[in-house]
Amino acid sequence: MSTPASILLVGLGGAGCSMVTRLSAQLPPEVAVALLDTDARSLSAGTAATLQLGRAQTRGMGTGGEAALGLASAESEEAALRRLFAGVPVVVLVTGLGGGTGSGAASVVAGYAAECGATVLSFATMPFSHEGERRMRQANDATVKLGQKCHGLVVVHNDLLLQQVSPDAPLSESFAAADNWVGGALRGLASAFAPGALIAVDPAALRSLLSTPGSPTLFAYGVGQGEGAALKAARAACDCPLAHAPGAVAKVASLFVTVAGGSAMTSTEAFEAVAAIRARFGGETSTVLCARIEPTLGDRIEVSVLGASLPAPKPPAKPKKGAKAEDPAQPIFEFATEESMRRGLFGGTPMTFIDGQDVDVPAYIRKAVRLPPAP
Amino acid sequence: MTSKPLPSLIAVIDVGTHKTASLLGQIIDGKARMLSFSERRTDGVVKGTVTDLEKLTQCVHEVVNDIERGSGRAVEQIYLSLSGPAAEGERVKGFVAVPAHDGKVTAKDVTEAIQSAKRLEPPAGRTTILYMRQPTMLDNRPVSNPVGMAGKRLEVNFWRVTMEEGNMRMRVGMVNGMSIKVRDFILASHAAACATASDADKQGVLVIDMGAGTTDWILYYKEHILCAGSIPVGGEHLTNDLSVALRISRETAEDLKLRFGSAMHRENDVNQTIWKDGDKGVGDQQFNRGTITQVLSLRYQETIEFVRKDVLRRLEAIFPGHAVKLDQNMIPSGVILTGGSASLADAADAVQVVMGLSARVGIPNFENESLRKPEYAGVVGLMTAAITDAPPPVRRPRGFLAQLKEIFRL
Repeated sequence: MSTPASILLVGLGGAGCSMVTRLSAQLPPEVAVALLDTDARSLSAGTAATLQLGRAQTRGMGTGGEAALGLASAESEEAALRRLFAGVPVVVLVTGLGGGTGSGAASVVAGYAAECGATVLSFATMPFSHEGERRMRQANDATVKLGQKCHGLVVVHNDLLLQQVSPDAPLSESFAAADNWVGGALRGLASAFAPGALIAVDPAALRSLLSTPGSPTLFAYGVGQGEGAALKAARAACDCPLAHAPGAVAKVASLFVTVAGGSAMTSTEAFEAVAAIRARFGGETSTVLCARIEPTLGDRIEVSVLGASLPAPKPPAKPKKGAKAEDPAQPIFEFATEESMRRGLFGGTPMTFIDGQDVDVPAYIRKAVRLPPAP
Repeated sequence: MTSKPLPSLIAVIDVGTHKTASLLGQIIDGKARMLSFSERRTDGVVKGTVTDLEKLTQCVHEVVNDIERGSGRAVEQIYLSLSGPAAEGERVKGFVAVPAHDGKVTAKDVTEAIQSAKRLEPPAGRTTILYMRQPTMLDNRPVSNPVGMAGKRLEVNFWRVTMEEGNMRMRVGMVNGMSIKVRDFILASHAAACATASDADKQGVLVIDMGAGTTDWILYYKEHILCAGSIPVGGEHLTNDLSVALRISRETAEDLKLRFGSAMHRENDVNQTIWKDGDKGVGDQQFNRGTITQVLSLRYQETIEFVRKDVLRRLEAIFPGHAVKLDQNMIPSGVILTGGSASLADAADAVQVVMGLSARVGIPNFENESLRKPEYAGVVGLMTAAITDAPPPVRRPRGFLAQLKEIFRL
């Protein structure tokens, strides 16, 4: 790698920036961090590279929830954004959809990054059901657009976050769950490319996994500790709410599994975990395994899973992949969006709002009720 | 629309999100005798909204063919049910100042008041489908028949149901395509009430008709319709929630819902493990019964809560400034629950908990045993409503002698 950082973590918009700021403390050195927002206040924190969007449009005040303003703000900084993404093999974009900057700018930013040759993986959080109709619609529109621009898109539902914690837990705890997932994924990805892995891979593996924009992306993360930690972690990943968000892809063709553990972890354990993951998620076409020893983990083992299915057979004459300038006429597929993720059988039908909530989304999700465990 | 005398043959069609049912009856002494019945799976309707007219039309034609073949009679006109949020209801009023010479209300005054109520234009782009009579008020007191009573200000009220014009034309066209006329529309919730609520109940009763795609409700007070509404949530949502929560197919979810589902979640459910097929063979899956009842009860009770809020919202629109309470005083007969989703276990208990009113599952009152199930309340009620809502046949005196008799009787 010519660049020191193999992954650029980008926080976009208020929610994205605050999540990335929280995460940046626990990231490996292979991850560079950048914050993008229209609101100047989000950008003040720490060591990250920052870029204020839409100085002319918003004068550092944020977009006030206007997606159109967010879009214009990002477009006005095209040159600076392209400079930021130049030569970075993997861009991970973290953003909260629903507001102005995230909803408007995400697809533009992802588009620039992809055009600069990076493999773009996005984590987008969807607003809570209680945030009302407008934000939900704005977020839905943004998901569709974003899905067409980036190579992988993982949608994190805030409603699901609420289910992860006990009803009387402070709000910060449920956001911590989201940080855990995204942080786990990043640690997994970053460590995969870092030197010193037991079974190493390079960013190109990620690229070939996520080569088709718009294919549904599977993401799961789990941690296990103590006796049989690897299997516990694998099982936790299988039960990860992100992986079985309603209507989410149940089985995928290709998997990218990272197993990280303390110095006691054996490769047998790592393979056990991978076998469990494969049994649950598929990965028949290819499973890329990366295992890594991380002494700080002690007796804990982390498993993170990325997966994708190629939605259609490849065109016969596929241009050879270069480091730059990906074919702009990439086929765009219908994305597994919010719709099919949460609305199940009602995916594809118009949303029905009562009291500002989309009532086609299961009641237990909107009410954030944790369901009894499976037998 | 209902001034024509009742024919001796009545055909009704209840188009639901899940199934379309049709009933043909012969009217003898004001009672319907079933000639034939048919039901088929509805195609082309999602959440109570038509998405594929062609498929739906075909489905309607099939059930009409069925009842014609089953009875050997030709159907010329039908009554069509009206449900879902497309049919929007509101109260319209008409006033008349009773002339002062003797201060007594005449039939002409009533007619004038009715006309003034019906002169109110529906919102732009919508067309009036039906009027349902609400209490007549004389000087702000409800009266059943004001003619001959003394008073100053006569007010008549109607529950007017309107629909978007294109939507209405589509529904009529669907039936006209087979050279059958739509004789009248009947509000599905009103039909369900006619099948399950007695006249005594109608002193105060809330009927909730929970179908597959929509939950329609209607509130009766002092024998009249007070208001009605619809929530675009139904049994399909129960199935969907379950299929999402357990990651199973729609068919499996539907099956589990019927076998193990409940509208109430009880502590003990969590300790029960159930098997999908029960043979514990290959492909059999086990589930926690608590998950099933938790998911279903949340959705069920939420839907009933939506109904409760909708009822209150509409009552507030009718009686602005009054604190309206849904309690035993206003609704002595409580809630009657009908429709396919009324069959879910513990449905009445859940309604009782959410509404704070007594609740029971309504079984349609019909001679034919096979139709005495809550899911058939709609189609049976259409028949009942068609008979009871039509005015009694008027015998016009014919011939000179008859006319003379009429004159002398006056």
